[in-house]
Amino acid sequence: MEGIKGAIKDALDFSDFPKSERIGIIIFYIYLLIFPWVVSSSFARAVMIQFLLFALYGMGWNTIGGYGGQVALGKAQYVGISAYTVAMMMILFNIPFWVSMPIGVFLAVLWSFMIGYPLFRLKGHYFAIATIAVSLVLQDIFRNWEFVGGERGLSLPFKGTPNFLYMQFKSDVYYYYFMLIFFTLGLFYMNWFRKSRLGYQLRAVKANEDVAASLGINVRWAKIKAYAIASAFVAVGGAFYAVYHMYIDTSSVMHLELSILIALMAMLGGAASLWGPIIGAAILVPLDRYLGSWIGGAKGLLGLDLIIYSIIIMLVAALEPRGIWGIVEKVRAKRG
Amino acid sequence: MKIFLRTFIVALLLFVLATGTGFAAPKEVKIGVIFPLSGGLATTGKLLRIGVELAAEIVNNKTENIDIPMAKWEGIPGLGGAKIKLIFMDHRSDPARGADLAKRLIKDEKVVGILGCYNSSVTKSVSTVCERYGVPMINSNSTSPPLTTRGYKWFWRTTPHNVTFSHDLYKFLIGLTKGKSKGVGKVPMKDLERIAIAGEETEFGATGIKVLEELAPKYGFKVVKAIKYRHQSPDLTSEVQAIRASNPGVVAFIPYVSDAILFMRTFKSMKFSPKIVWGQDAGTVQPGFAEGLKKDAVGVLTRTVFVPKIAEVKPVAKQVNSLFKKRSGEDFSGTSARAFTGLQTWAYVLNNAKSTDPKAIQKAANALYIPGKELIMPWKGIKFGGEQKGEMGQNILGSGMIAQWQVSPGDTVPHLEAVYPFEYATAKLIYPFPKWK
Amino acid sequence: MGFFLDAITSGILMGLIFSLIALGLTIIFGVMNIVNFAHGEFLMVGMYIAYWCNVLIGLDPLFGLPFSIAAGILLGLASYYLLVRYLLRGPMIAQLFGTFGLMLFIRYLALFIWGPNFRTVSHGLLMGKSMLLGNVVVLDLSKVVPAIVSIIAFFIVSYVINNTKVGKALQATALDAEAASYMGIYADRMNALAWAIGGGTVGLAGGLMVNFWYITPEVGLLFVMIAFATVALGGFGSIKGAFYAGVIIGVIETLVGVKAPSFKFTIVYAAYFIIVVFRPQGLFGWKE
Repeated sequence: MEGIKGAIKDALDFSDFPKSERIGIIIFYIYLLIFPWVVSSSFARAVMIQFLLFALYGMGWNTIGGYGGQVALGKAQYVGISAYTVAMMMILFNIPFWVSMPIGVFLAVLWSFMIGYPLFRLKGHYFAIATIAVSLVLQDIFRNWEFVGGERGLSLPFKGTPNFLYMQFKSDVYYYYFMLIFFTLGLFYMNWFRKSRLGYQLRAVKANEDVAASLGINVRWAKIKAYAIASAFVAVGGAFYAVYHMYIDTSSVMHLELSILIALMAMLGGAASLWGPIIGAAILVPLDRYLGSWIGGAKGLLGLDLIIYSIIIMLVAALEPRGIWGIVEKVRAKRG
Repeated sequence: MKIFLRTFIVALLLFVLATGTGFAAPKEVKIGVIFPLSGGLATTGKLLRIGVELAAEIVNNKTENIDIPMAKWEGIPGLGGAKIKLIFMDHRSDPARGADLAKRLIKDEKVVGILGCYNSSVTKSVSTVCERYGVPMINSNSTSPPLTTRGYKWFWRTTPHNVTFSHDLYKFLIGLTKGKSKGVGKVPMKDLERIAIAGEETEFGATGIKVLEELAPKYGFKVVKAIKYRHQSPDLTSEVQAIRASNPGVVAFIPYVSDAILFMRTFKSMKFSPKIVWGQDAGTVQPGFAEGLKKDAVGVLTRTVFVPKIAEVKPVAKQVNSLFKKRSGEDFSGTSARAFTGLQTWAYVLNNAKSTDPKAIQKAANALYIPGKELIMPWKGIKFGGEQKGEMGQNILGSGMIAQWQVSPGDTVPHLEAVYPFEYATAKLIYPFPKWK
Repeated sequence: MGFFLDAITSGILMGLIFSLIALGLTIIFGVMNIVNFAHGEFLMVGMYIAYWCNVLIGLDPLFGLPFSIAAGILLGLASYYLLVRYLLRGPMIAQLFGTFGLMLFIRYLALFIWGPNFRTVSHGLLMGKSMLLGNVVVLDLSKVVPAIVSIIAFFIVSYVINNTKVGKALQATALDAEAASYMGIYADRMNALAWAIGGGTVGLAGGLMVNFWYITPEVGLLFVMIAFATVALGGFGSIKGAFYAGVIIGVIETLVGVKAPSFKFTIVYAAYFIIVVFRPQGLFGWKE
């Protein structure tokens, strides 16, 4: 009991951030809370849901990729596993989202243990390429598996009336608030995680594996655990994706591009910081969607949106490798 | 913060004013168009776009020498002469992006309806959004059969789908064995009996294979090999080897452009010439296919819904095609001509609905009839129905045709000649598929 | 049996081309521990250069090769001096994404400039010519010649690296850049050299590939994952490894492709995963 209380206290405790930052965060969160009431644009809401989703993905990736320093580039497979679980259970047995989501997350975590065990024999670039390879293999299997719709993907059946159990609503506002709840829970979890035992172990592993091992940390096991946590996070997002878009196929939920985007956003915002993935998603998601819809449809400017997008990525990677959060930390260091 | 808040309130007020005053008699009517304008299908997207834009221009301005009533409309008469305004969005073949863009078009741009989306997978996700919001969507180019069997009430499709097209292939082959084709005698069944299918690994290819496989025995053919491959693949040699090893008389492809080109090149390098090479539209029908292969494309058959040569029998097609060629430098293809027809259908529906109210549009679409002579397509017309076959909103008057790439003396790039239906054939069939030199 | 031989032959030919594409990637990695995501885009530029040489001045793709190589070298040097140099300060993940940004940049710049159309070189000395070997094995000249050029390129690069002063300096930097700098070898110059060789070889691959492949701005995408798998299977930084791994992948791919085309690359990636789990440094790797 004490342990749980302590954990909750840790999760809610943001006191190690400077006051000015805490105020900024509170304002930002209030903005998120009232967002659907002040902005009526439906595209803006869709973009905002996308932002929350990617922030959640990024937070998950941050455990293994940020704190643990392991460049995992295959996260989309876990998005896919749970999205497919939710879709299949609804299509076959009419099982509600709230039952199938935990099952999907469980299956994703199970798979992550099975894959994580051999995977963490590898290091550095071998590890990075291997995560991609495994993810591609799984995608190919799903794409050729008739039972889960193969290439045709899966369409979730309409329930007709808005339905909380199956997460079917007419307006995006509902999806927005559900996503905000997931996001908030994820944020509190991450706030606890960074102060947890595993969080410290991972940082030690990242700094120097040999030293960490000599301190009695089971390096491989710590990585596997963090990898499983990351998988659980993205699996929640994947389950949400399935009920939100009501159509999934392997190229929308298991594609390499998604894996890379997840890591990219976290890196760009600042890996190994609580706010990094959120900042990354807050910048890249709207940038991509708005640039795409302004320029992507325009004539004679083919590809310009992605050129701008790529220049931003290169600039951040070259000038501030710790991401945008790195700039904040620099400012903070100057002040204090 | 204060400044931000102030600008925000001012912006909000402006927004409310702008949307509040927009309800008077519409001067323009917005149609959202979602196509793959960049990414792997950008070439296709460009042609789709020009086709749709041309149709809008013909509706909006008085256009001389076009024998379709809408050329004289100068806007939509049923809506007090409102002009069609197109808002293009680029889905990059991503279903989720398509769905988000559909929301943007519906809720923010307040379009009265959607046209799109080419890729069957994106059409699926976008039509789901439309269904959820009760906004009409017309689809002109996606041929996956299940799209119209989902019971959607806000979705109409003008193009025939893959089941119709696959029947056409077999009817054509049967016709060959009976000597019905111009310039070719009776072909023995044993030459054509064995069929190998290679389908591109997406919704489009996968359902295409399934339909062809299911229909083959009904017509007395045997599918000896059916393979799926990835169109973004760095090598297709082994696929061709597998096809060649099955020793087929007919090779049926369901490809996109890049892999169609690659397949033909690999055929050539392996000196593999079956009796018939047939492509299911998309990849083999586009001008890019012939430009990429030049004379190596000669003899390839493609299922299509349109060939420029139609102009010889259909004056309307000729008139519109000349305008299209002026804009794009190319003739209409099945892809762009169907996109044109998609927007034309929208114009007719709006005109009949006499209102931009979704319910009125729904009613008008369900009751729509466009006679064949007002279309550039060689169809009997456009009429939605098909309930008796378990379909909803499917054009029941559409039909497919089969064309062949042939080259005129002196030309380097081949063009399409119609060979099926046999009565519309514009040239003699080249049979068998020429041996490689 | 003939069928089997045919598959193996074309697998080896295609594999040698994969090897050539991977060669530059592995050299760059060996010298400075960077995986270049934009490698496929270098290939694409090499292809476009060969294409334009053919269309504008009527040069056969074979004689356009020097231009493709030159373009590759310039692109490699520009990438190094304008971007990669700055990436070196960051952690591995920032380096990966820096080159990922470069990949998007080059690809979409090409789309912006050249448009999305598929282009092909339709006439050339090698095109459409093939030899029959014992009446079963078809040797397509447009693949045989690139495969032979690939072998020659490997010979030259290995020779330069093992037997010349510059090559030895490159190796020294690869083993320990700091120690090499005490010996008076400027790591910066060696890095630039690695990018020049890397760009040049992949430009060469691009120039050869127009003989049998189509060209679009997105074409690099198809080859970059295979190049990654090749380099990783052979062992990052190993030239010999890249050579054999390319051939192995080519053969697996065609053999599986004949029976189950949907899974041909699945098997390649699965094979990579299994091999690397048992040999974490790849087949011929010397670097962790």
